[in-house]
Amino acid sequence: MTHDTPHDFGPKQVENDIRNTAQWFEDRLPIMGLVKNNLVTYPTPRNLNYMWNFGSLAGIALVLQILTGIFLAMYYKADVNMAFDSVQHIMRDVNWGWLIRNLHMVGASFFFIVVYIHMARGLYYGSYKSPREVLWGLGVIIFLVMMATAFMGYVLPWGQMSYWGATVITNLLSVIPFVGNTIVVWVWGGYAVGDPTLTRFYAFHFVLPFVIVGLVMLHLWALHQHKSNNPVGIDLKKAADYIPFHPYYTVKDIFGLGVYLIPFTFMVFYAPEYLGHVDNYVPANPMVTPAHIVPEWYFLPFYAILRAIPIKALGVLAMFSSICVLFVLPWLDTHPVRSGRFRPVYKQLFWLFLINFVALAWCGKNPPEGIYVIVARICTAYYFLFFALMPLLSRYEKAKPLPTTI
Amino acid sequence: MPALLFLLLAAFFPLFAANAQQEPTFPAQKWTFQGVPGSWDKAQILRGYTVATQVCLACHSFKYFTHRDLMQVGFTESEVKTLAKALNMNIDQPLLTAQDDETAKATFGKVPPDLSMITKAREGGPDYVYALLTGFSEDPAEISKTFPQGMPPNTHFNRAFPGHAIAMPSPLSAPDLVTYSDGTSATIPQMAKDVTTFLDFVAEPERTERQRLGVYVLLYLVIFTLLAYVTKRAIWKDVKGH
Repeated sequence: MTHDTPHDFGPKQVENDIRNTAQWFEDRLPIMGLVKNNLVTYPTPRNLNYMWNFGSLAGIALVLQILTGIFLAMYYKADVNMAFDSVQHIMRDVNWGWLIRNLHMVGASFFFIVVYIHMARGLYYGSYKSPREVLWGLGVIIFLVMMATAFMGYVLPWGQMSYWGATVITNLLSVIPFVGNTIVVWVWGGYAVGDPTLTRFYAFHFVLPFVIVGLVMLHLWALHQHKSNNPVGIDLKKAADYIPFHPYYTVKDIFGLGVYLIPFTFMVFYAPEYLGHVDNYVPANPMVTPAHIVPEWYFLPFYAILRAIPIKALGVLAMFSSICVLFVLPWLDTHPVRSGRFRPVYKQLFWLFLINFVALAWCGKNPPEGIYVIVARICTAYYFLFFALMPLLSRYEKAKPLPTTI
Repeated sequence: MPALLFLLLAAFFPLFAANAQQEPTFPAQKWTFQGVPGSWDKAQILRGYTVATQVCLACHSFKYFTHRDLMQVGFTESEVKTLAKALNMNIDQPLLTAQDDETAKATFGKVPPDLSMITKAREGGPDYVYALLTGFSEDPAEISKTFPQGMPPNTHFNRAFPGHAIAMPSPLSAPDLVTYSDGTSATIPQMAKDVTTFLDFVAEPERTERQRLGVYVLLYLVIFTLLAYVTKRAIWKDVKGH
């Protein structure tokens, strides 16, 4: 066994003077060193553009969801006979309850906006490429857990869309061969979405955000191993290409936070229901099916892929594949150039992919009939074609000359 | 990349809005509670309350409303107690209809919905509720355009209601159904306007406070963001390429 730096396993000489408290503590748990190395002196490429603000913004959005969520949890009742009423209790009787709930509700949507932009940035600048494959994969896992958390959170107010959304989505598990129906009953805790379902969704909705926090720690650990990618996408070798995280990126992130909070706050105070659905202000009723069941807006592109395929099992498979394909992207796209800036063909396919993603959302929001089905099928095809073309592009796309330095 | 992404987002953001979803739109009315300076007009809330308790309450409940809530719009405790007493209630009881579900089902074919969230639970909000209340018609020519075979049993024609066949008979069928204590003439549009305002208050009593508070928060954030930008510029001025 060889190491670059030989370890000294002997007892480390430390100062025992507890009057020098900070040093005494640091010798025993070097937490200030950790903060210093990762948030203060941490070397960051000096050429990052504003697209690199969305990682820290996502972290802040997560913290905001956890904080508001804890306060909501103090008043929310996970019982089918009390859930809807308890939300109204929060809105009407709890001091500042309406504000906390609006922050949580709008916060979920804005968390997804931030994460989608964060992912699009990674896609455009090739941030998933070697040696950052694990960093990217952890991000995809975070995205999946986030989707599960958001889905279960939307069930909690126990309105009509909560109930019927939960029914439609959990029913997707029934396509699993042989055991599908058994699994659905097991997930429901009964023969329909009901009280046991609501209670367990609440338990998961509470605990999963902390799982996300753990995953974010790993995501950051992997990030700091190879440092940030940058808009030029080349490996930065010179010390002059880096600047310390603090104060440069702390102040830039604070400015970015301000820019983020303005539209966010505007929605919280002036359009809290804008991204929601009116049917969720009608209490859940298993006897009345809404005319048209739609998930939250951030799931619409995937919902469109699900419905684009007429065979249910294949639709479910396509929907899950559309996210899981991201895991293997680093091995589909092996083009030596990272940044889309220098890849003329990839760049165009990328923008088309984003437009296509929005078009899928538009299909998902409309009923699965007529033109919407046709558009959804074309868009679903392009969604997967984009990934299928990557190996070809890796081989044949001629990149523009790369700069050697930033 | 940043600029293009921003444009893409800005262009498509409205597409996500749930509000843009359904086709029927209702003429936008002017409401006292709208916008930053929005407020609840105590006199109008009282008129709306009069319609709600003398007309709607016959069949509909307002389970999230108690008389004490009226104190948020300037009623005194004794005024509120007087109103509650007229209905043989105390001020902390929810406002529930005396009609039982069985009778309702036998009469209308379904149980009338609770109205305390109605302006939030329908596409179009208060504008829809107003359009619905003023949208009944018995004009045979108009009805036969939608229903050439005549109305389905136990339904009434309504211009705003999705599908145009509503189980509820016109609740504000004639002027002067109620007598307003402030002398306002109880025309049908007046009663509809007043009761919709009351319903919106019952659905979101926090609304005017929210709209007022938002300005201060936004103002704070704009100043904060400008200062953060100036600080960022100052700190970054020596970084190569910036």
